[in-house]
Amino acid sequence: MDTLNQVLLYPAFQLGADLEGWLAAGGGQGLIAALAEPAAIIPTLREADLRGMGGAGFPTWRKWQAAAEAPGAGKFVVCNGNEDEPGTFKDRHLLRWTPHAVVEGGLIAALATGAAHLVLYINPHQAAAVAEMRRAVAQWQASPWLARMERALGHPLDIAVVETSGRYIGGEETAVISWLDGHFPFPRRKPPFPAQSGVGRAPTLINNTETLAHVPHILRHGAAWYRALGIGAAAGTKLYSLSGDVMRPGLYELPMGTSLQELIFVHGGGMLEGRDFKAVFTGGPSNTLLTKRDLDVALDFDSVRARRSRLGTGAMIVISEGTSIIRKVAEYIAFFAAGSCGQCPSCKAGTFQLARLLDRIDGGRGTAEDLQALESLCRILPGSGRCGLIDGAVTVVESSLHTFPDEYAATR
Amino acid sequence: MRAIPATRGPRGAPPPPPPLAALLQSNALLDDAALAGATPLRADVLVLGGGGAGAAAALAAAGAGRQVILATKLRMGDSNTVMAEGGIQAAIGPEDSLQHHFDDTLRGGHNSADPHLVKQLVTDGPAVIRWLIGLGMHFDLEKEAGLGARLLRKKAGGTTVPRILSHRDVTGLEMMRVLREAVELHPRITVMNRCPAVELLSDDAGACVGAVLYDLEHRRFLLLRSPAVILATGGSGRLHLGGFPTSNHYGATADGLVLAYRMGARLRDLDSFQYHPTGVAWPAPLAGGLISEAVRSAGAWLVNGHGQRFVDELLARDIVAAAILREIAEGRGVTRGGRVGVFLDTPGLLARQPDLLETRLTGLKHLAHKAGFDPRREPFLVAPTLHYQNGGAVIDPQGETTIPGLYAAGEVSGGVHGRNRLMGNALLEIISFGRRAGAHAAARPVAAYSRGGIEHVHRWQRALAAAGLPRAPRAPLLYPDYAPFSLRQHAAA
Repeated sequence: MDTLNQVLLYPAFQLGADLEGWLAAGGGQGLIAALAEPAAIIPTLREADLRGMGGAGFPTWRKWQAAAEAPGAGKFVVCNGNEDEPGTFKDRHLLRWTPHAVVEGGLIAALATGAAHLVLYINPHQAAAVAEMRRAVAQWQASPWLARMERALGHPLDIAVVETSGRYIGGEETAVISWLDGHFPFPRRKPPFPAQSGVGRAPTLINNTETLAHVPHILRHGAAWYRALGIGAAAGTKLYSLSGDVMRPGLYELPMGTSLQELIFVHGGGMLEGRDFKAVFTGGPSNTLLTKRDLDVALDFDSVRARRSRLGTGAMIVISEGTSIIRKVAEYIAFFAAGSCGQCPSCKAGTFQLARLLDRIDGGRGTAEDLQALESLCRILPGSGRCGLIDGAVTVVESSLHTFPDEYAATR
Repeated sequence: MRAIPATRGPRGAPPPPPPLAALLQSNALLDDAALAGATPLRADVLVLGGGGAGAAAALAAAGAGRQVILATKLRMGDSNTVMAEGGIQAAIGPEDSLQHHFDDTLRGGHNSADPHLVKQLVTDGPAVIRWLIGLGMHFDLEKEAGLGARLLRKKAGGTTVPRILSHRDVTGLEMMRVLREAVELHPRITVMNRCPAVELLSDDAGACVGAVLYDLEHRRFLLLRSPAVILATGGSGRLHLGGFPTSNHYGATADGLVLAYRMGARLRDLDSFQYHPTGVAWPAPLAGGLISEAVRSAGAWLVNGHGQRFVDELLARDIVAAAILREIAEGRGVTRGGRVGVFLDTPGLLARQPDLLETRLTGLKHLAHKAGFDPRREPFLVAPTLHYQNGGAVIDPQGETTIPGLYAAGEVSGGVHGRNRLMGNALLEIISFGRRAGAHAAARPVAAYSRGGIEHVHRWQRALAAAGLPRAPRAPLLYPDYAPFSLRQHAAA
C-alpha cells in the first residue's frame, strides 16, 4: 500500500503515550519552533492553509487569531475529541496512538492564544483513547516542557482530560462549552462565538483533534512543506475514514485532494464482491450524496463543496448497487433523531418525524402522503434549530430524494 | 476422513470434516439487495428452530413476559427430538445422585465436556422431569401402577445406575407432543413455519440483534429484529459425513453452525460426531433409520456373521459403534441386499421377554411393520448411522454464545457432552439449556436503538477474498444437497 507522505499515521509516530519515544522520533521540534517565535505561529498556519478537520474546513488560523485577539484572561484551548457520528473513526486513532502530537498541537495553540487551560475533551465511549491520553498528559506535566511553556506564557497552564457526555450533540462547539461549564451539552445560538465568550465566559478556542495533530508537524517543517503535501490547490494530508461496501475499509491518510476514485478503487481495494458503485455518504453523514458522476472529485474541502456537497470529517461510507439508499438514510436519520438534544422543538419533532416517515417508506408501508410529508418537512425544517443538526439531517434526506427518486417511486 | 483446517474465522476449533468445513467457509446466501426489499418485523426474543430446544426456549422466554417469535425451517415439531426413542436421563432414583449423573456424563464424553455445563445439565434434571409432567407428558411407570407409582427407570449405555425415563420407545415424540401444544397455545408465541433463517443481523458493536428469514410460502425475505436470538437449529446429519446414512430428520444441515461461525462465534469439537450403533442397514428404504438403544437396554444382543456376540451392548455408543465397524471391516459382517451390517438379535430377546414388543418397544414394532417382517422370527441388520453432532457453538451455563445476544441450545451447542454423548442426555439437554437460554434471553434489555445489518457478512466476504477462497459456494444449505431447492431461484421465481 502507498504510504508515502504520511504524517499523522507515519508508523514511527504510532507510539501511544511514550513522550521520550515521541521526542526521539522528532516530536517537540514544532513546539521548540513555536517557543522560539510565538508571533509566527498564526502566520505559519495561515500560509500552510490548515483547515478545520472536524467538518467545517474553516481556516484554522482565523479561529486562532480571533481567540488570540479576544480580550480576557484565563482563555481555554479545547481539543474536540467527541467523535461519535456514523462512519467516522479518525480521532480515536490519533488520541490512542499519537496522543503526544495532539497535546503538542494543543500546547502550541495555547502559546499562540495565550491560554491558561488546555482541555482534551474525549468521548468516554472510546475508553482506550481516554486512558492513553491521561497517561500522555501526565508525562507532559512531569516534563520540563510545561515549565518552559509557563515561562513563555507568563502564567500557569492547566492541562486536563475531560470525558464528554458521550452524546453526538456534545461535539457541537457551543455544546462543548456548555458541558465544560457543568451543564447539559445544549448547543446555543452564535454569536457570541466561542472566541468571544466560551468556557466560563473566557475566550475559547475549540479545534478538532486531527487539526491539532497537524500543527506540530507544520511548525516543525514549515508551511511550504505542508502545502506541498496536498494535490493541486489543496494543502497537507487528510485522514479518510473509508467504510461500507469496499474490500479494504479503514483509516487512510492521503494527500488532501486525492480523488474519490483513487480512495475507493486503489486504496480501498475496489468494491466488495465486485459490485457496482452507487453512492457515497460523506461524514458525517449529514451531507449531499456523492454519486457515480462524482467519482473524479478531488477530496478536499473546496472541490467537494463545488459539487454541492461537503468533505465533512473525511468519512466516506460507500454504498454499492443493491443497497437501498432509503434504508441507509433511514438509519442515519434514526441516529440523528436519537442524538437530537431536544431543546428546539423543530429539531426534536422534525428528526423524529423524518425517521418515522423513512422507516415507513423503507418498510414498504409508506403512502404517497408520507412522501409528501417528507418533502415538505425538507422545505420547512432547515435553519430552524440553534445548531446545525436539523440542517444536516434534512440535507441528507433531500439529497436522497433528488439523487435517487426511483427508489422512492414505489411509494409515490 | 481427512479433516481440513478452517483458515478463516475464529480459530481454536478442531478441524471439522471437509464437507462441514466447506459450508463454514462459504459465502452468504443474501446480499443487501435482499435486505432492501425485506419486510421488517420485531420480537423481544427470536427462536430459530422448531424442535424441543426451540420450544423450551420459546416457552421460557414467553413465560417471562416477552413477545416471542419461533421461526422454523420445516414445521413446528419437525425435528430430531421426535426421533429420540430411548428416553431422558435425570437422577431421580433412590440409589442415584446428581454426582453419579455428573460422573457418568463426563466419563461418557471422555472427560472432554465442559464441567460447568455438565453440572448445570444434571442439576436441572429432576426439575426438567417435573416441568415436563406438568406440561402433560406421560412417562412409563413401574409395574405396580396406581397411586404413588414410581417412574420406570432403565439403564442406558455407559451409565452406572438405571436413570433413563421413557415413554415406551417413543419418548421424544411424546415430549414434542406436549411441547408443541404448549407453544402453539401460548398467546405470546408466534410460530412461523417454513421460514428458514438465512443470516443473522449484527449491530455496530458486533452483537446479534436479529435474523433475516426467508418466507418460503410468500417468497419474501423477512428482516426480524430482536435483542436476543436463540439458535436451536439442531445438527448436521444430512451432510452424510463420511458417506454414512443418517438417522436425522430432513432439516439437519448445520445451518446454525454456519450462521454462528460467520458472525464470529467460537465453535468446539466439530470433528466429533456420534454414530449410533444400531441404524437400520437393510431393508434399503429404511437405511439410516434408528433402532432405539432401548432395544439393547432391554437386553438384545449384537451378533456378527459367525453368530457370536462381540461387545457388551451397553457400553458407550461410540465404543459399540466402533466394535460393529471393526466386525464389518474384518470380514465378520453380514451382507444382505448389498448392505453390510451385523444382526440385532430381536428373536432372542423376544423369546426371553415375549411381551416387550407390545409394551415397551412399540416403535420397534412399527419399524418392523414398515420393513415388512416379524422381529420375533427375523433379526434386524444394523450398522452405525450418523446420529448426533457432539460439538457446536461454545456456550456458557446460561446458553449464551461468545457473541452477545446470540444464544444456542440443543444439538447446535457444544461442550455439554464433550466428544461422546450418553443416551438420554440429549432430551435432557434440550429442555435444560433451552429453558435457560430462553429465560436469560428474556432478561436481556431491549436496546433503544439498534437497526442491525449484515456488516459481519461484509467482513466475512472481505476475509474470504483476502484468503483467496472461492466465493461461489453459498451457505446455509437449508435443505440437503439432494433436495431440489435453490433459494436464489426460488426467490427469483
